[in-house]
Amino acid sequence: MFSNLLYRLRALIRRNSMEAELDEELRAHVEQQAEKYVQAGMSPEAAARRARLEFGGIEQVKEECRDSWGVRFISELGQDLRYGLRQLRRNPGFTVVAVLTLALGIGANTAIYSFIDVLILRMLPVRHPQALVLFGPGDQSGNSDNFPDSEMHLFSYPIYREIQQKNRVFSGVAAFGSSEAGLHGTVGASRELEAMKVELVSGTYFDVLGVNPFLGRVLTGADDQTLGGHPVAVISYGWWKSRFSRDPAILGKILTIGRTVYTIIGVTPSGFFGTTVGRSPDLWIPLQMHDLIDTGPHKIGDKFYRSLDIIARMKPGVTRSQAAANVNLVLKNILHEYAGSEPSREQLQDIRKAHITLYSAATGNSLLREGFSKPLWMLMAIVGLVLLIACANIANLLLARATARQREIAVRMAMGAGRMRLIRQLLTESALLAGAGGILGILFAEWACRFLLAVVSRTQHVLTLDVSLDTRLLAFTALVSLGCAILFGILPALRLTRVELTPALKEGRGAMLAHDRSTLGRALIISQVAVSLVLLVGAGLFVRSLVTLANVNAGFNKQGVLLFRVDPSATGYTDELRLANMYRQIEQRVDALPGVRASSFSIFAFHQGSWDGSAWAKDYAAAPGSQHDASFNAVGSGYFAAMGLPILAGRDFGPQDTAASPRVAVINETMARRFFPGGSPIGKRFGMTGPEHSNDIEVVGVVRDAKYYALDEAPEAFAYYPYSQYTPHWGIGLYLREFEVRYSGNPQVVVPAVRRAMGEVNSNLPIGNVQTLADQVDASITIQRLVAELSAFFGLLAVFLACIGIYGLASYAVSRRANEIGIRMALGARRCDVLRLVVRQGFKLTLMGAAIGIAGALVLTRFLASLLYGVKPTDPLTFVAVSLILIAVALVACYIPARRAAKVDPMVALRYE
Amino acid sequence: MTPTQSGHDNLPLYFDTNGGSMLAVEEKGWLMTDKRIDLPQGTLDLLILKTLALEPQHGWAISERIGQVSKDVLSIKQGSLYPALHRLERRGWIKAKWAMTKNSRHAKYYELTKAGRKQLEAEESAWRKLAAAVGNVLETA
Repeated sequence: MFSNLLYRLRALIRRNSMEAELDEELRAHVEQQAEKYVQAGMSPEAAARRARLEFGGIEQVKEECRDSWGVRFISELGQDLRYGLRQLRRNPGFTVVAVLTLALGIGANTAIYSFIDVLILRMLPVRHPQALVLFGPGDQSGNSDNFPDSEMHLFSYPIYREIQQKNRVFSGVAAFGSSEAGLHGTVGASRELEAMKVELVSGTYFDVLGVNPFLGRVLTGADDQTLGGHPVAVISYGWWKSRFSRDPAILGKILTIGRTVYTIIGVTPSGFFGTTVGRSPDLWIPLQMHDLIDTGPHKIGDKFYRSLDIIARMKPGVTRSQAAANVNLVLKNILHEYAGSEPSREQLQDIRKAHITLYSAATGNSLLREGFSKPLWMLMAIVGLVLLIACANIANLLLARATARQREIAVRMAMGAGRMRLIRQLLTESALLAGAGGILGILFAEWACRFLLAVVSRTQHVLTLDVSLDTRLLAFTALVSLGCAILFGILPALRLTRVELTPALKEGRGAMLAHDRSTLGRALIISQVAVSLVLLVGAGLFVRSLVTLANVNAGFNKQGVLLFRVDPSATGYTDELRLANMYRQIEQRVDALPGVRASSFSIFAFHQGSWDGSAWAKDYAAAPGSQHDASFNAVGSGYFAAMGLPILAGRDFGPQDTAASPRVAVINETMARRFFPGGSPIGKRFGMTGPEHSNDIEVVGVVRDAKYYALDEAPEAFAYYPYSQYTPHWGIGLYLREFEVRYSGNPQVVVPAVRRAMGEVNSNLPIGNVQTLADQVDASITIQRLVAELSAFFGLLAVFLACIGIYGLASYAVSRRANEIGIRMALGARRCDVLRLVVRQGFKLTLMGAAIGIAGALVLTRFLASLLYGVKPTDPLTFVAVSLILIAVALVACYIPARRAAKVDPMVALRYE
Repeated sequence: MTPTQSGHDNLPLYFDTNGGSMLAVEEKGWLMTDKRIDLPQGTLDLLILKTLALEPQHGWAISERIGQVSKDVLSIKQGSLYPALHRLERRGWIKAKWAMTKNSRHAKYYELTKAGRKQLEAEESAWRKLAAAVGNVLETA
């Protein structure tokens, strides 16, 4: 085996000496044979002749010997490559255009695919991820505390424990916090607060995933025994690297979060990011420490405080449906137990409706998947189509060149080159082009990935994704490049080698062939125009949608507002009164600063999250089909002034609203209209969670409708509460983490002044991100903007490529018909006649392509409906405008060669050929 | 080994003795005159290996020897010998070196390797088995 390889290698590398030896060997044979005949009495000439005849064709024998060397394919490939390179170098213009368009197309495909791969396709880097299942779709973060009455998305710790112990289908079950806690703590003896991303996990977490420590140990069941009794932390490789510079003595170091000191016991392997794609916790802490991390009223032991996701590993041989059946049985038993010995009718109904669906967790949990996957697949389709157009273009260019090479091919075939051999050689040229395009494309993709990641991270999700190139991506790129080579190479190669030798040799071009070529070329042009029209229509729709979205009236005045993110949990305050006091002091101090007009703390700012619940008013509750969904926020008395939300009726919050005074709310117009139809809502009452509370809260004011989470949301009922009356028992946590400041003048002066003022009130309050509300609003439509910009870019690129195609075809037609044009002009045709002649052909193709494209777009754009805002997928304006643009550009592409044709001197044209 | 030595009756195949040459073995290998006969794959290889088992030899001598020993029943079309030799060399069954002939001519000598000897044994016994089996069938049927 090995000697065989060595032999082939020698045949490859020492080709010349092998050839010389072969030559000598064969000559020796013939000479010896001749000698034999001479000895038998023949004349030397006759002997030599006979020996040669007996031997057969020397060249043929040599060829067969070369075949025996087993390297024919490779050495021919080498020849083809050299020849192909020479061909490409001879046409630098063609080569550059082809390679660049390919690089752009392949690069864009690789970049988009890398995002799809990392967000949607890639398996978790853990042991045998296919056996992992997620309880519920894993699409919610936060918490919920009502009795489960539908598909369960979140779970309480006690429910998790019971499932873990009572199921018969899993080899392990683990729970983890559904939301990553962005906390602040100190490292070692340092007193400086640092941001830390903490994930709370059950002791079984690492075991279920099958993740072994890189250093030290990971959490085990022993770290999940007593409430508050396990102050240990496992840190991520990334954090170990960035924060501790890979300190080998990391184990035993301490971290202080709140009032608890944690000991670092281990480091996870590099590449492990937990179970949620796009998130990357710095440290993992046992769930038993929950109550010390989150000092709110909700305790981890509450049966109904549901804030966890559950992931489990199925036993070998268990199917997902078997597992689901068992888990739901266990769940019903648990809920019956919780409901007590005498469950109410509602509870029984709820238990019947409560269920768990198991989802494959092989690719992990991804909150991002829902929002990103549709735009990503759509972008993938777009860049795929662009690549197709690029391929069609190159095929067309190759065809045009093929005509020029007709004679060369004919000569080679006449000399005995096989058709397959020639096709292989032509395909080698295509592969060279595609290979160069692919390599450049990878460079382009690298850059594009970094760019896209930076853009996407402007949204509220700070994405931690590894989109660097790996073997999978390289394989993808190689596959795409190869596909391209075959796609654009095979047709021209087949066409070029189907030669009728005699006419081709005679004049270098056959009449039939030219006709054939242009039929194929025309078909390519029509499809290019059609596809680019589809892309352009899509782009037009997205751009219109974006413009509509950006001009939506958000209700609030986004100009002149600064948003500060703070972490009051780091202050160590755990009761709402002290916190409210701190908020008020800060507001007062900040309000007094020059340049500040109003300021307020709030639970949520625009696009930062929402507190969703239900509202109940006495009269409304009775109405049939009543809709009780409403969202809430707790704010300071300066909130409406800071946000620029005018009070339409009643009053603002004031110092009279205290924890001791009757509870009040300011509601928005939609809520006023829905819950208190007819007459003023001022003085009317409503409540949260159920009809029994409908007397709890008095409406003191009505404020203008606004957008709360997204610009494209429908108007929703919304109520504001003064934070002085806020109690976290309402379910949304203890802390107000947003601080809005309306200012005028220079933000560079205002921001440090506000920071200083806050520090003066409480030096332990960490201040994170500062951004303007306008930026925040902008960031909320990042995805839509990205989709619009990218689709516009690729749509225009597609049109540009199609125009190159049209231009090429028209130029070719002009040069081929130069003679005819000359005759026409000599016979009296005017220049405009010639112009019309040439332009008409391109125009016809464009119209046909556009018609097909419009039909295609009408079918395809309906799949975009869910990504559009305020624009119908069949928006006539977009369709008409886009078609006109395309036709106009195509006309220009035809006009340039046409004008050249019209300028032709008839005498020159007639002498041509 | 040459098939003729085992007697015409036992020949597995019919060889045309009139033409002075016979062919059509593997890969367009042998020449043939009137009747087309399909020799089993690898027969030329077997003949070459057997010839080289006696002593190292160069191409021309190999073809001469096969011709002589088979009493010219098997005369190899000379050109077809070389691709076979090169193939055997690639497979490592024979190896080549340049040396002087008796007539002080520079020639490429081929020699059986260990692997080649094993291969020869295997092929030889396979051939004998085939010949015997076919012979039996012809005699008894």
